[in-house]
Amino acid sequence: MKTYEDLAGDGGSNIVEQVQSLGVKLRSRLDKIKYKICLMSGKGGVGKSSVTANIAACLADKGFSVGILDADLNGPSIAHLLGVAPDAKLEVDETGVEPGHGVHGIKIMSMDMLLSNPDQPVMWTETPEATAVWVSTMESTALRELVADTKWGELDFLLVDMPPGSDRIDNIRSLIPELSGVVEITIPSPLSQHIVSKSITKNNKMGVPVIGLIENMATYVCPHCDKEGTLFEGEDVNELSTRKGIPFIGKIPFDTRISRKTDSGGLFYVENKDSVTGKAIEGVADAILTFIKQKS
Amino acid sequence: MKFLCIPCDEQMQTQVDGIMPEENKNLAMKFKCNKCGHSIAMLTNKFETEFVSKLGVEMGGSSAEGTAPMGVLSSSLAEGKEELKKGAPSADDLIWTEEAQQRIKRVPFFVRNMAKKTVINFALERGVTTIDAKLMDEVREKVGM
Repeated sequence: MKTYEDLAGDGGSNIVEQVQSLGVKLRSRLDKIKYKICLMSGKGGVGKSSVTANIAACLADKGFSVGILDADLNGPSIAHLLGVAPDAKLEVDETGVEPGHGVHGIKIMSMDMLLSNPDQPVMWTETPEATAVWVSTMESTALRELVADTKWGELDFLLVDMPPGSDRIDNIRSLIPELSGVVEITIPSPLSQHIVSKSITKNNKMGVPVIGLIENMATYVCPHCDKEGTLFEGEDVNELSTRKGIPFIGKIPFDTRISRKTDSGGLFYVENKDSVTGKAIEGVADAILTFIKQKS
Repeated sequence: MKFLCIPCDEQMQTQVDGIMPEENKNLAMKFKCNKCGHSIAMLTNKFETEFVSKLGVEMGGSSAEGTAPMGVLSSSLAEGKEELKKGAPSADDLIWTEEAQQRIKRVPFFVRNMAKKTVINFALERGVTTIDAKLMDEVREKVGM
């Protein structure tokens, strides 16, 4: 009787070739992107998307070409923040899907752009058969398609806006093994620091480079006079970064203007570069650039 | 995974039209020995099938639908953007009756794309432009779906 090796091919199911083809497609997109960086927190509500959007704007302002992958499939907000209309028509051809173009020419791909209307949640099927296992499966596949089927073109940076949860890095790592690094974001609250510390530990254990820790909503900035005040009573975030052995790369104040939807074609950073918050964002972007420079 | 016809010592071939949902939880995939014509069906449950689905591959061979940009998203995302669906090369000229649409929706979603492809191929081979319940009955009779 013949052995497995004696049988050529896979009997017509074409699975091996399909898997190889998916890998080639993904690689061809990623090879054109110099640096891939995840922004994550472990916890929701710390302002990841706003920080991501504004860091992207800052990098673009410095002359880099930037794209954002909104990996928060169930709570996408990047397209909204960067002024890509939810009803914008998608341009699709056999080579892929054209990303959305946000302020400052930032390229964006988000589940929000694939849904029929702004109120529609991500539903993989309308029948009750989508168990948790299937939803998880589909989310992995969706992420791969969002990366591999988007015509990102040549980019200096692809920022990945991660969903809450330290487990989510696994999907991204399998998609983008050459990840340049992750930026951890927390707010001063003890609970947020407790959760982000788990995320940092996980990344350290898995060998994912941690660029540094950001303290978001570190203070409150008055939009009228630019003066700062205390917002949260919490432990020193600097102490957390020391304890975890990662760089502390910036304090970003809470600023009501930062997460406003951009209707004017601008974004907070673009319009308020010289504000306290704008300078804080630039400080973080510079820290990322320093990390990249040291690494390369 | 490969299948060998023991009497003939020949590799069995995947039957493209043989993928059929059994009840709502299982998947049957047919293989045939091209030498003696003997067929077998490989049965899996949906969790076993998950492995293949997660890779984003199609059983029975890749199709134009499956390899289109964001093909899995467009076929799986309920009420996804029409632009994405249009992006997937498919038999655009075919008309699905309401009943046929309802029936295809009842196919487990992890094989729906393949089932749809089977029905479309069946219709195109016969030069049929409208997919209705009668045609789907014929597909069921022919390929067991």
